[in-house]
Amino acid sequence: MATSNQLMFARQLGATARLLIWLLVGMACVVADSRYHALEGLRSGFSLLLQPVRETLRVPADVATEIVGFFTRHRLLQNERDALREERARLWASVNAAREISRENAELRALLQLQARPGQQLVHAAMVYRGHDWFAQQMTLDQGADAKLRSGLPVVDASGLVGQLSRVYAGSSEVTLVSSPSQLTPVFIERTGQRGLVAGSGRGYLELKYMPGNTDVRVNDRLLTSGIDRVYPAGIPVARVTRVTHSQSGPYLRVACVPLAGLDRSRAVLVLRADPPAIQKPLPPKDKQP
Amino acid sequence: MSAPQSSGSWRRILGSLTLALLLEQLPWSGWALVLRPDFLLIGVLFWALHQPARISFGSAFLAGLLADFQNGGVLGQHAMAYVVGVYLVLFLRLRLLQFDPLRQAAQLLPLFLLVQLLLLLIGWLAAHPPSDLSVMLPVASNTVMWLALVGVLRLWHGKGMQDRA
Repeated sequence: MATSNQLMFARQLGATARLLIWLLVGMACVVADSRYHALEGLRSGFSLLLQPVRETLRVPADVATEIVGFFTRHRLLQNERDALREERARLWASVNAAREISRENAELRALLQLQARPGQQLVHAAMVYRGHDWFAQQMTLDQGADAKLRSGLPVVDASGLVGQLSRVYAGSSEVTLVSSPSQLTPVFIERTGQRGLVAGSGRGYLELKYMPGNTDVRVNDRLLTSGIDRVYPAGIPVARVTRVTHSQSGPYLRVACVPLAGLDRSRAVLVLRADPPAIQKPLPPKDKQP
Repeated sequence: MSAPQSSGSWRRILGSLTLALLLEQLPWSGWALVLRPDFLLIGVLFWALHQPARISFGSAFLAGLLADFQNGGVLGQHAMAYVVGVYLVLFLRLRLLQFDPLRQAAQLLPLFLLVQLLLLLIGWLAAHPPSDLSVMLPVASNTVMWLALVGVLRLWHGKGMQDRA
């Protein structure tokens, strides 16, 4: 006999039917997200929920770093201070030269009536979280729309280009790394000035694409951003060439590179916030005015 | 159906799932990230095995969406894989409940493998081909994690002693 707890007739769907329903819902989610980008609201909700948790959970690691740093040897610190002083003196010399050049550049641009380059501001950000990089190589930063970030801005560290902001939430943002398979970066070879495209190949490596077989590329060449996309400012170091092989099957060279930025190591990064280029509105016709 | 047990109260279920979520929010990096077990999946499957009336498809789907968010992938990828995992656990439930931890983990190894294969397949179709097969590494760590979890719980409740006697 059926007791009060045990129903004789099933009142809910069988497991297989429920599985199929949820799989349909899942497929709808995948399509809505990948085709129509309709689920960004859900993402920002999750971000609001998890961001405080992530910042709290980062504290133990920070405290451990502080404690280890406290016991750094005095001699080591002195050496580092000396090296930094030397570097500062060197940098001051180049800053003075750069100021002179930029003044000259502004004058020349004014003479040639070229548009002035937009000024840039730096936003300091720290990495908070990194997920599995199976299908998207991303990391989460602790600055977001509050710091006037918007998606598309370039992110750099001390040694090179890290990536580009792809999603911006209220208090956090996601960076798509240069090594991400879907990420393309326009670059030029520092030694020759030849322009090209760098694509991520996953696993933390990059590839210089579509270089004809007779291109002058050598191992250890540096690749810098060319700036023709109006996304990245020109001249940010991106990668160093590690291997050049002639492809047997295709017309292009295979150029493997490693990113110069510490994609795995750097905790502190800079977001380059340039104001969007002002579009000049056409002047209103004057003859309509009385 | 047995009376609701104190071992499966809502407080415990939600507490353990929250703990799993918190563990995933730690700043994992390098090899620890590659080998990190999927704590949320293990938590959801554990409660689907022991409290199927409370934790099943809907909770698995929600947990999967959270996992999708934190990996930056397509929303729905982990959700569908978790739902299939829950279905298989419900399918094998009576069998799994009779096994000792080692055999349970051995039975769950192909299940974890299938879940990761589904992740790989959906990501492949929705985003792009994977760059390497590191997506399969959590299969091993999930199995080991399950073994450790169930082993510790048995010792906690004193069932391990009975098995040995």
